[in-house]
Amino acid sequence: MEVTRMSSTASRTYLDQFPAEAKVIKAAFWSSFMALAIGGLLGLVQALHRTDVLRFIDPADYYTVLTAHGVLLAITFTIFFLVGIFTWAVTTSLDRGVVDIRFTWAWYIMMVVGTILVGVSILGGVVDAIPTYADVLFTFYAPLQAHPAFYVGLVLFVVGSWLAGADWFRTWWAWRKENPDERIPLPTFMALTTTLFWYLCTLGVALSILVFLLPWSLGIVDSVNPLLTRTLFWYFGHAVVYFWLMPAYMMWYIMLPKLSGGKLFSDPLARVVFVLFLLLSTPVGIHHQYLDPGIAEGYKFIAMTNTMFLLLPSLLTAFTVVASMEHGARQRGGTGYLGWLKALPWRDPVFTGMALAGLMFAAAGFSGMINAGMNINYLVHNSWWVVGHFHLTVGTAVALTFMAAAYWFIPQVTGKALWSRQLALGQVLLWFVGMTFMSNAMHRSGLFGMPRRTAEPQYQGFNFEPAVGTVGEINAQVALGAVLLTVALAMFLLNMVLTSFNDDSDSLPANTYAGTLSGPEDSPAVLDNLKLWTAIAVVLVIVGYTLPLASIVDSGGLFGPDISGFQLAIETDPALVLESVREVMP
Amino acid sequence: MASATEQSETDQVREIGHEEYDPIGTAILIGIYFLILVLLWLFMYFVEFLGNGPTVVGALLTVVGLA
Repeated sequence: MEVTRMSSTASRTYLDQFPAEAKVIKAAFWSSFMALAIGGLLGLVQALHRTDVLRFIDPADYYTVLTAHGVLLAITFTIFFLVGIFTWAVTTSLDRGVVDIRFTWAWYIMMVVGTILVGVSILGGVVDAIPTYADVLFTFYAPLQAHPAFYVGLVLFVVGSWLAGADWFRTWWAWRKENPDERIPLPTFMALTTTLFWYLCTLGVALSILVFLLPWSLGIVDSVNPLLTRTLFWYFGHAVVYFWLMPAYMMWYIMLPKLSGGKLFSDPLARVVFVLFLLLSTPVGIHHQYLDPGIAEGYKFIAMTNTMFLLLPSLLTAFTVVASMEHGARQRGGTGYLGWLKALPWRDPVFTGMALAGLMFAAAGFSGMINAGMNINYLVHNSWWVVGHFHLTVGTAVALTFMAAAYWFIPQVTGKALWSRQLALGQVLLWFVGMTFMSNAMHRSGLFGMPRRTAEPQYQGFNFEPAVGTVGEINAQVALGAVLLTVALAMFLLNMVLTSFNDDSDSLPANTYAGTLSGPEDSPAVLDNLKLWTAIAVVLVIVGYTLPLASIVDSGGLFGPDISGFQLAIETDPALVLESVREVMP
Repeated sequence: MASATEQSETDQVREIGHEEYDPIGTAILIGIYFLILVLLWLFMYFVEFLGNGPTVVGALLTVVGLA
């Protein structure tokens, strides 16, 4: 049966198989690229401003730029790409289209409308003609307050992503009716488990926005409890990290082995990894709040324990993915203990981009362990170290994997061959080099206490003292890295645009993903019991969050003490700032 | 098994099955990674703790939220 179905899909692109779905996926990818283009350019503006290489914006506007950079890249770029990949994964692996393509367009349009509302709200911070403000950074918790349109936009975007999840579940239910005895194909399993923890974690941010922040912004309630909104944000804020990472993991599991010339080492291990992410992604958010007063250290300790358990699926992934690449390399003739590395297809930009992204993720694993440790975290908390860390994770492991994947996906959904493989290969290498400069320097500057989220970290009568090197050298590395990353970004976008206008549609690869050495038949059926894993995930969230939330509400009130919002876009009299600083610092 | 899984590669010179495959190179790479982690943890002692005061979790009362 398999062979005959194989022949029906042989040498056919995704566009040939699912033309209607390909259009939605292409639209989602382009939404993602537009966010990447704007957000990436703003990153350059910030890097040059902070390092005092080129300052052409007002320091107060830095936070508008920072908010746009964070929201557009961490939320918009990643999630639009995710919905595209997951729609591809579900339809390809189930070998059937979505149940109703109008529903698919509906959630995509809802996400676009949400993004436009959020983007315009932020833009109001620098354009006087737009009466909005949203200098609340990507984390948007109180006491920073945004215009209601910002929160409404976020709600539309998140609800759109919920409907996308519902779309994948509907498609899977329809397939299950026709195939009642078959195991869930791995790519669909990955999309569904990821969707489940997305539902679980976004409940926190939905509660935060709809009950507290939006009514507060509209003036319906006078104040909120900032610690409560912070905690509800981080309840969502760490899981969102895994939400954008899971499509990258999916690519490493089901594309890298194929590109290497081999098969996925173990389908059961991949399932275990995604189940672990479903269980553990959410009850860890308090590890972002190790320095927050008002949360007892015992609860922080529970969050740290859960976080350390999260290393397990990532280390399992390191083993499974590298073993799959080694399998491919040996099938391609590679030999020796490490000599097989030379047999990998390093001239293929899709492979090289994903492999380098995985390598960067291994480095990010180390700084992540430092962040996760409660006592060591105190030394790097809120410093530029953390920014260095997440530029390795979302900025490289995710972004570089997505860009590399786009070199394969855009031809699949447009039916047009990639414009230039050489440019693509140069682009992924340049991104890797640029990020090595920038992220390494950010980590080092965090070690001597340089703060994050600061427009101009230069102070009168105080100099940072790096143990090795100088501040000037570190700033130069950041600025150089940012320029290289921007050039790489431009190369990527140019290749994507020219691919879309490419007349060449010959020699496109077929729409396939990696086979397995050890298939789902080798794993217990209980791994596919999504209800069971969801129930355990809910219990873990209840255990991890009930007492801290009760304690926060008990001590600070549900709507908090009387807290007025801060709107950073509005000019503040420096004398007033000094006065308020004196109030809190006797 | 889904229909769209890749069955063969053009650059493939031999087929290695599940039983005969021994990922020794992967074990070596993972071993090197763990070695780097251990060395970085040792290095961290010199970077962060030497010359700084100890940073520790508080007494029992603060752990359970009573103080």
